[in-house]
Amino acid sequence: MRITEQTTLNKKRRPLVLLFILTLLLLLLSAVSLGVGAVYISPLDIITDLMGTGASSHAFIIQEYRLPRLYIAMIAGAGLATAGAVLQGILRNPLASPDVIGVTKGAGLAAVIVIVLFPDSPVFWLPVSAFLGAAAAAAALMLFAHKNGVKPATLALIGIALGAIFQAGIEYFMIKFPDDVNSTLLWLAGSLWGRGWEQVWMLLPSVPFAIALWLLSAKLDILNLGDDLAIGLGQKTKQLRYVLLTLSVIIIGMCVAAIGSIGFIGLIAPHVARKLTGSRHKFLLPVSALIGALFLLAADSLGRGLFPPIEIPAGIVTAVIGAPYFLYLLRREGKKA
Amino acid sequence: MLKWMKTGSVKGAGLLLAIAFLLALGGCSSTQKAADSENVQGAGQTESGNTKTITHEMGETEIEGTPKKVVALELSFVDSLNALGIEAAGIADDEKKEMIAKLVGKETDYTSVGTREQPNLEVISSLQPDLIIADAERHKNVYEDLQKIAPTIVLKSRESTYQENLGAFNTIAQAVGKEEEAKTRLAEHEKTIEETKAKLKADPNVTILPAVVRDTSFQAHTSSSYDGELLEHLGFKNAIQQEEPYAEMNLEQLVEIDPDILLLANNDGKLITDEWKNNPLWKNLKAVKNGQVYDVDRDLWTRFRGVVSAEAIGANMLEMLGENK
Repeated sequence: MRITEQTTLNKKRRPLVLLFILTLLLLLLSAVSLGVGAVYISPLDIITDLMGTGASSHAFIIQEYRLPRLYIAMIAGAGLATAGAVLQGILRNPLASPDVIGVTKGAGLAAVIVIVLFPDSPVFWLPVSAFLGAAAAAAALMLFAHKNGVKPATLALIGIALGAIFQAGIEYFMIKFPDDVNSTLLWLAGSLWGRGWEQVWMLLPSVPFAIALWLLSAKLDILNLGDDLAIGLGQKTKQLRYVLLTLSVIIIGMCVAAIGSIGFIGLIAPHVARKLTGSRHKFLLPVSALIGALFLLAADSLGRGLFPPIEIPAGIVTAVIGAPYFLYLLRREGKKA
Repeated sequence: MLKWMKTGSVKGAGLLLAIAFLLALGGCSSTQKAADSENVQGAGQTESGNTKTITHEMGETEIEGTPKKVVALELSFVDSLNALGIEAAGIADDEKKEMIAKLVGKETDYTSVGTREQPNLEVISSLQPDLIIADAERHKNVYEDLQKIAPTIVLKSRESTYQENLGAFNTIAQAVGKEEEAKTRLAEHEKTIEETKAKLKADPNVTILPAVVRDTSFQAHTSSSYDGELLEHLGFKNAIQQEEPYAEMNLEQLVEIDPDILLLANNDGKLITDEWKNNPLWKNLKAVKNGQVYDVDRDLWTRFRGVVSAEAIGANMLEMLGENK
């Protein structure tokens, strides 16, 4: 399952142009997203509201709901995609994602426990427990993988095993407390409903971690050559994996704490990015980030605009779009091989 | 390492620029936001000077004047408003107009604000309500957001007992300035319940068990549940006397408890009892043998919860069991 350099290098496009196009697309989609929802807001109103001139009757909706959600979608989408791309690099496995290493499931179990067993707890318990759950899952993962030198296959297998344990826990609580299934499922699916500026501030600290990962992209390239070569080139592969894993988990933990354990973004965005720009991480990471942001923003706008006033959680939209697209990608990859 | 960083930084400049742009946008929007909330508050203060403070599950909320446009985010609040003669302007109705019509007793003109689980904040804000009534469990995460739209009171609905529900009714009456009406209505309610109890004249030795039936679960409602407690007020002894409002059980456990009367609030679709009905254990239940198994409306019995609905439940009991003379 190693990502081969040859095939991807051949069709490498000009990364700068690609980044520019994606940024443009993101800005365009942002403008659309601000207008979409149960209350339609015309582009002209959006501009005057953003400028702060002649506040229209929709200024409140834009400032309180749509703008923060726009930022949340961008930061969380980009964060999850970056972390996903790095995980795929660390594990040298294109199927790796925050779900596969058990981190989001760990966050999910912690959140479910808070929702089900402590319904009267203060509001901030939920994000805090989700972050701690993710951290605990990552700690367990590294602890168990440590003996074997943190090899990619070991990490993946242990991650899957941990994920299965957490999933069992989640299901136990859902069967035991059927009345809370709705709220639990909602959180597990991941949604931007009810999120505001508070979550934007919660997510902003993840940006420096993503930039740190980007600065490490040359090392990720070396890891991709395989352990023997990497060690030959003077890399301490074990330590490097710990650093990369920790950085990724911090980003994932923050994203999941803010919007719930949203799936597929960390899996699909890096895939698409690899198709577009090849597997050199210094381009792969920013392209993944932009695609992740686009993906989550599109999902949230769709979920908001399809059946107003009912909102479809963004996580369900990403799954509905993501799953078939992923199958299609796998099929195409299979054909080429 | 140095080499790639050089080319990388040139090519990454676009990304950094984009981030800078976004942050700038965020900066100007947050100042705008502050200005906005000032505007909103300024508009509220121009109204009459009589302010009251309502204490609720998440603190205290100041309400100015008498709220006219009320948004109810749970069904029991709609029931309470209905009992006070107020039509809610916005209801989280899960997009089921007919359910609200059943609850209020007639078609009313209101705006749906989406699901109870995720009420649409945009729609609520566009209604420009004077008061929002939210559930302590479902909506605590958006309390701050709701408070920015309009004065919000948070009450127990979903997890409430019968007594707590009556308490919530009083709080709502205070908030909408109808304490006197509430007093009369509650007295009337007590009288109705007493009358129904007298007509039902339940045998103190007879046990009753209401339960919600789903495709994979049979959830008994104990003496501490909303409907269980109401039935106790109507003179029926619940088959399960405990502090926990709900108890999941299988057929064996049900056989052991063996209530005299079974009230089943069935989900739509396949039910776990469909299978049980072929089981000899089921056929041996006292309630089954004596024909004392009743299917009841799930909306009325477990979802609505309120003064009017409680009376409707009493009437429903009379209808099913008949007057006991």
